[in-house]
Amino acid sequence: MNIDPQATLVLSPLWLVPAALGIMLVATLALQALQRLVEQPLTELGAAAAGGSPLHRWEPRCKLAALLGFALCAVSLTSLWLVLAALLAAAGGQALSGLPWQGPWRRLQAISGFLVMLVVVLPLTATVRPGDILLQFAGLSGLAINLRGLELALLITGKAWTVALLAEPMLATAAPAATLAGLQQLGLPRRAVSLLLISHRYLFVFRDEAARMRIGMQARGFRPRPSWTSLHDLGNFFGMLLVRSYERTERVQQAMLARGYRGVLPQPEKISVLPADWLAAALVLALGLGLLLADRLAGG
Amino acid sequence: MHQLAATRPSHQAVSRLFSLRDLGYRYPDGTPALAGIDLDIFAGDRLALVGQNGAGKTTLAKHLNGLLKPDQGEITYRGQPLAGAHLTQARLEIGLLFQDADDQLFCNSIREDVLFGPRNQGLDPAEAEAAAEAALADVDLLGDAERPPHTLSYGQRKRAALATLLAMQPEVLILDEPTANLDPRQEQLLLDLLLNYPGTLICITHNLLFAYELCQRAVVLAQGRVHHDDSLRELVAHQPSQREHGLDFSFRFAGDPPQPGQGRPAGSPANRQPPLLAMTGYSYRYPDGRQALRDLTFAIRRGDRLALVGENGAGKSTLAGCLAGLRLGLGNLTLDGRTITSRTRRELTRQAGLVFQDCADQLFCPSCFEEVAFGPRQLGWPSAAINAAVTDALQRVRLENFAERVPLHLSGGERKRLALAAVLALRPQILILDEPTAGLDPQGEELLLDILSKFAVTLLLISHDLHFIRRLTERTLVLHEGRLVQDYATDDFFADADLNSLNQLDYSYRRASELRLRELRRKAAEG
Repeated sequence: MNIDPQATLVLSPLWLVPAALGIMLVATLALQALQRLVEQPLTELGAAAAGGSPLHRWEPRCKLAALLGFALCAVSLTSLWLVLAALLAAAGGQALSGLPWQGPWRRLQAISGFLVMLVVVLPLTATVRPGDILLQFAGLSGLAINLRGLELALLITGKAWTVALLAEPMLATAAPAATLAGLQQLGLPRRAVSLLLISHRYLFVFRDEAARMRIGMQARGFRPRPSWTSLHDLGNFFGMLLVRSYERTERVQQAMLARGYRGVLPQPEKISVLPADWLAAALVLALGLGLLLADRLAGG
Repeated sequence: MHQLAATRPSHQAVSRLFSLRDLGYRYPDGTPALAGIDLDIFAGDRLALVGQNGAGKTTLAKHLNGLLKPDQGEITYRGQPLAGAHLTQARLEIGLLFQDADDQLFCNSIREDVLFGPRNQGLDPAEAEAAAEAALADVDLLGDAERPPHTLSYGQRKRAALATLLAMQPEVLILDEPTANLDPRQEQLLLDLLLNYPGTLICITHNLLFAYELCQRAVVLAQGRVHHDDSLRELVAHQPSQREHGLDFSFRFAGDPPQPGQGRPAGSPANRQPPLLAMTGYSYRYPDGRQALRDLTFAIRRGDRLALVGENGAGKSTLAGCLAGLRLGLGNLTLDGRTITSRTRRELTRQAGLVFQDCADQLFCPSCFEEVAFGPRQLGWPSAAINAAVTDALQRVRLENFAERVPLHLSGGERKRLALAAVLALRPQILILDEPTAGLDPQGEELLLDILSKFAVTLLLISHDLHFIRRLTERTLVLHEGRLVQDYATDDFFADADLNSLNQLDYSYRRASELRLRELRRKAAEG
């Protein structure tokens, strides 16, 4: 079946040079950002839980319900402009939390590496539908940029950034135990909450153990090489890491039992819900639902 | 077996807490761990549970808390078997401090960890909070209550782990190697806390100086059996008993206490040769931004034997990592006069052999032979040279018959020596040992000391162990908060009365304990 797009704009092939350079630049920056991110130390959730912003004071269950609801509305939007509005609202939430921008910036960098690929690939691969606008380069009939594909890529990027920005006010403005207790009250199974809490704690111990073992190998001349010997050594490394983690799991369980653990982590003290908490949750949810309604009306 | 406490009339009048009868236990793989244990522990006992690595001390402690079930015999607490509801209640009264504080701190903040026990005890929120506050204040960590455990120093984590128990106000406190890797100040803090603890205390330790300050009764385990149950004073004074149980620490008393000015000071004519390693204005910052080393300037010459001392968190291990080329800071670092850069630091790694504090970080191969051969193989040595290097290294650490053994199954002392062999096989120019005595029993320490004293190699020893420092080094560097505050002869270090005020390194109590033990041994020998 042959589908005709609404319009095809033909550009000079000279545009390919700055376009290619731009893509290379963006890809290089994304890779560098990813590299920096990998090299940066892990920071724990709730590291800034002691702040005094309204988000810090917001009762965790209300906060989680409201921000998760808003995130759901945001990812359901189809209009680029309304996604931009949701993104601005999420940025406002981050600003309101008073937390440093370093955390969300690193999170955005982490996901942007993949999103850049979408922005590059989707305009070139999106199926051409009636009404699509294509950009073509003179003499290169096989290469066409579909503006609907570009819009779709930007839409996905905007939604992903919105959710990434919401993560900080949602998870970093209370201690992990309080946040997870809130999630439990919202229906997350108790066992999953215990697993998440202990995993979050031992992620750092595991990371330090792995780093010390890696240094131990480097100290005896190990460098990863494309060889079976190198693979064998890495196998030993991961095997030993697994054995050590398993042994630690046993010891941690014993340490918990020794202090009276009976299969259920004791709950932190409940925080009472004030009318202001309900009101704030209602406002945030209303904003999300309002954006969704506007989106549906515009789409209809 | 020697005199049993159960037969002593002095204990009949007080209440019996634990009673173990013919207790036996095998590990899941069938290896016997405990056999025929008959033991009574009474309220108010202060008991040192000692023995060689692998004697079964930790396994026995886990039975006392009901974490392990005996395969034979029985154990009762307050007259009832440790099972069911009684076990649940007993665990809330018996505090067990694990060797590794990271096992004990499983919550995401110190406060949550300390609250865990009181909440399980069913205290209401206000009472639990008050108990946690009091325990945190006792261990001087009230200001760090909201911090995640991994951001605390080793000594702080150890104290936080103790606070998790103190908050439960336990009737019985069982401590498993509480002083391992602690600096003298942290050890003194721990000792002060425990001296004030009013309940029953059971302390598993190789540190007889510490045990001597704290405990009156000694139970010696050997190959899973009780071989001695008497006063600690008797055990400490009676060298043949210690020798029999591999606990003889009299090698620590060899030689007289040093006099200031007798050692070879830094920069003496004997040290005029070009430096093997030299740092000038060297600093290092961790990836998270914390400053670890500040403006260090010193030189290590061929044949030097140095000690590096400092409080927990002073930056000693980080400095060792820099000297071994594993970390690269700012400033000038030279090897044989050549400046080390990011491109040439592999040469430094090749020349500096670093034995880690925890040898588990260094051992990952399926056999001892593979472990020692790992380094030479990475360097592309021919098979014959690798075989020769492995044989030689295993011989030097007295593990010649261990080539096919699995490193994971070796004892603590054997693993430490294997890690040493793995480094020696690379024939380093300088050997850097990070806390080599941590977790070793006296026999293991003595053997390691004997091995190390025979090496003719440039040595940097990071340790809190005064005896190892005295026996193995001639020069001492004192690090405090990342700065080098002293660089002098080791004998001057021992005579330095200002050390405590300089950097909170208070060795005075260890020295005093050592002198008291010497005196006790002398009187016992005369009597």
